[in-house]
Formats: sequence, C-alpha cells, structure tokens
Amino acid sequence: MPSEIEQGTSGGGTTIPAAEAGGRESRGFGRRRFIRYLMSFSIVSSLAIVVTPIIGFLIPTKSASGTAGGRVLAGTLETLPVGTGAVIAVGSKPAIVVSTATGVKAYSAICTHLGCIVLWDEAAGAIICPCHDGRFNPATGAVVSGPPPAPLAPLATAVEGNEIYIVTG
Amino acid sequence: MTTDAPTRAPLGGPIGWIENRLHLGPFIGALLHVRVPADAKTFYLGGITLFLFGIQVVTGTLLALYYSPTPDAAYESVLSITSDVQFGWLIRSIHHWTANLMILSLILHVIRIFVQGAYKYPREATWLVGGGLLMLTIGFGFTGYLLPWDQRAYWATVVGTEIAGAVPLIGPPLLLLLRGGPDVTDATLARFFGIHVLVLPLLIGALIAIHLLFVHQQGLANPKRPDPRPGRPGPDLSAEKTKPFFPDYILDELIAWYAVLTALVVLATIFPAGLEAKADPLITPEHIKPEWYFLGVYELLKLVPETVGVVAPIALVLVIVILPLLDRNHEVRPRRRPIAIGLATLLLVGLGVLTVLGGRS
Repeated sequence: MPSEIEQGTSGGGTTIPAAEAGGRESRGFGRRRFIRYLMSFSIVSSLAIVVTPIIGFLIPTKSASGTAGGRVLAGTLETLPVGTGAVIAVGSKPAIVVSTATGVKAYSAICTHLGCIVLWDEAAGAIICPCHDGRFNPATGAVVSGPPPAPLAPLATAVEGNEIYIVTG
Repeated sequence: MTTDAPTRAPLGGPIGWIENRLHLGPFIGALLHVRVPADAKTFYLGGITLFLFGIQVVTGTLLALYYSPTPDAAYESVLSITSDVQFGWLIRSIHHWTANLMILSLILHVIRIFVQGAYKYPREATWLVGGGLLMLTIGFGFTGYLLPWDQRAYWATVVGTEIAGAVPLIGPPLLLLLRGGPDVTDATLARFFGIHVLVLPLLIGALIAIHLLFVHQQGLANPKRPDPRPGRPGPDLSAEKTKPFFPDYILDELIAWYAVLTALVVLATIFPAGLEAKADPLITPEHIKPEWYFLGVYELLKLVPETVGVVAPIALVLVIVILPLLDRNHEVRPRRRPIAIGLATLLLVGLGVLTVLGGRS
C-alpha cells in the first residue's frame, strides 16, 4: 500500500500524507469507481442517443412494402389458350399465369431460389427460372428440377366469361 | 521550438513559405526516408491498388456530376454520360475497368502476402485491416453495379441481396436494410448510391490510412526470414541488404502505375462499358450472370443447398481474415509451409473451377 495517495491531476500534483487521507481512502476509491461507472454510462448513453435514430432511420417505412394487388385482369381465354403462359404485374409483385389442360393456374413469379422472375417455356412445357435453370410444374407449381428449395406460391384465379382474373389480398 | 539539427539555409519560394510556417520537412522525411529489404518482392500490387483507388475517386466524382440516382432518370443519365458528355464514355469505361482491376490487384496482393508469409508476426493487424479493405472494395463493386439501372444491374442486385437475405439469423433484416424494402426499388437505388459515394469512401479512406501507417511502422517483410521476436535470439540483421524506399522503390512503383494506366486506357477503348436494356422488374433476362468475382458463389448456389452456398463463403472469408491467429508456424518460406500452401492452392483451384463453370453455364 502506498504511503502517499496521489490526488493531483497534473504531473506535479499535490499529495496528501496517508495518515491524513486514511479516512478518505475508502470513500475516495468508491467515488472513483462511481465516477468511472458514471463515465461509462455517459459514453454508452451518448452512443445510444446517436445510434438509435440512425438505425431507426435506416429501417424501411411501411409504405415501401409495395401495394396489394386486389383483382387484376390477367388476360382472356383467347390471349391465353391452353399451353401458353404470361408474366403480369399484380400490384408491385410479378405473377405468372399458365393455361394448362387442368385449367388456368397462377403463381407468384418470384423464383423461390434467389428471387429471379420465372418465365413460361412453351417448348419445355414448364415454368423455368432463367438464373439457375430451376423448373416448375405448371399444373402444381412444384419443383421439377434444379436448385429451388420450394414450390412457387400459388395465387387464386377466377375465370369470368372468358376473362381471367388473379385475386389477391 | 528548439532542435539539435544543424541549422540550414532558409528555403525560398513557395516551399520555403510553407516550411517556415508548418515545419513539415522532418515529418515528410520520416515518411519517405525509410529502407526496405533488397530481397522484398511486392510486385507493387498494394501500391497499384492504391493508385487504382485514386483513379476511382477522380472518375467517380466526375460521373457523380452527371448521374441521377432515381429509377426514372438513372438509366437515361448513364446513357447520356456514355453518348453525349465529352469523354463521358472514356471516364465511365475507365471507372468500370478500374473497378475490375482493383479487385484483381487486391486478390493478387492477398496471394502475394500469403505466399511470402507477410501476415505473420508482427503484421497480423495489417492483414486484418487489409481484410476490411478487401470487403469494402467488394462492397464498392456490389453497390456500384446497380447504379446504371439496366437489366444486368437490376437482376445482379436482386440475386445478390437475396443471397444476403439467406444468411442465417440476420438475413431477413439485412435484406430489408439493404433494399430499403422487400423489393429492389427506388429506395434500393438511393441507398446503394449513398453507400457507394459517401459511406464506403469515408470508411475505405480511414482504413487505407491505418493500413499504410502500419506498413510504414513495420516496414516491408523480408520473404526469406521471419521477423525476430522480442526476447528471442534472431538472425544478425546488420548484414541484411536494404535499399531506400525513396526514390528507388517509389520510382519502380511509379513505372508500374504508368503501365497500369496504359492498360486501363487500352481496355476502356477496346472494350468500353456497355449498357443493357433498362431495368424491368417483371422480366429476368436469360443467362444472367453476376460480375466475375461473384461467379464462383453464384455457381456454388446452383450446386448446393442455399444455406450451405451462403454460409460456406462467409465462413471462408472469416477464416482468411483471422488466418494470422490460426497459423502459428513462424516459417515464411513457401517451401517450408507445404500444408498452408497446399490448402491455399486447393482453394484457389476450387474457386477457379467454380468461376469458369459459372462463366460457361
């Protein structure tokens, strides 16, 4: 234990003999620790004051989430005869409509692998993704081959007269 | 201020004017007048990368004067830079080619440091900062790629951010944060532009300064022997051949920069940066491919499940960054490090094969 306790802040700071400081030593140590905690708290809270609004600012707003489609005219039975398909916009999202022997089907056109937009390949008779050549069954949306981990998300369709609608939301 | 240095005749002219007021002479002298090992073979790659970064700052600033970062105007502004603005095609093509060469020279720089064991004691922190520089440079490539807002740019960003979104745990919020929403939209373009021209340049400027400070403090590594450690008997260094950094090394570096500049102008002239059709969120073009340095990961994602294809490259990068902590062998000569060199060769061949496969598919 040092015989003298440094009290000064500058190089040649004042020193107080240990005997005189004895009573204050334990209090002094507690005070220093308290001040250190206070300093740490100040630093952390100052950082939080700066970082919180920055992170909050960076989180996208709700309006950036795109619009719901509602009911969208995808085509007619004449423009989409059996064995054909097309990609159309439903709100801000792309959808693929295919006319199969078992009826008109619609799916989200966003490939479940890496988000590319699938297309209808008439020659192959399949929905294919141009990025990694993933193939989907037009009748069910199931993966036929390639790396997609899940089937295409199905969308509801309604045929009224000869008009084909995709119904979402 | 007092000094023991012999008094010199006061300098005249503008240099004297500055020197009499700021006394920068000793500071600049300390920066330039160091000696480097005569055996050091850097192939000038670090300096070349720095030079290329300088070119990017100049050409990028010029491009920003004409570029509009909105989906409605971005494509047309790039088209206008390329076809209307005087030397616009040249500035844009040089920016494009410099980006590619910068990644290439960084990769070669990392390979050089690895083969010569220059990441070992006492240069571990320099390697770590270098890892940060590599990631920031790739970040520049990724964010800059979207800015022309053509089909290639748009879909490379859709796939790239989708890959980021597949990172376990942090993926989904990371994807939202990067895109500024669930899809690649005007919000994404604004973010990428801000990151590309403000955030990354400030960060990379700071890291380059730290990296150069470390290199200056430690000097260049000798590829023939490890640095002596404190408290351990080391080789006698008094007989080691050295050469002055300035002007010898700097002059060689300058020649390398001229060669690189020539190559850039030739590449930009023969293969100018192109522009595809304007971005269409409803049509993914066939045979879409990312830039060459992402092809390996892109091909890997075709062959393995998504999580593996995303986690494996991240794990690999982390292992490379903390390499000085894992590799405790003091030896620097490649012939005496068969395991390290063997593993690195295997990795490079693997990446090369994936890249070639990705390029062909």
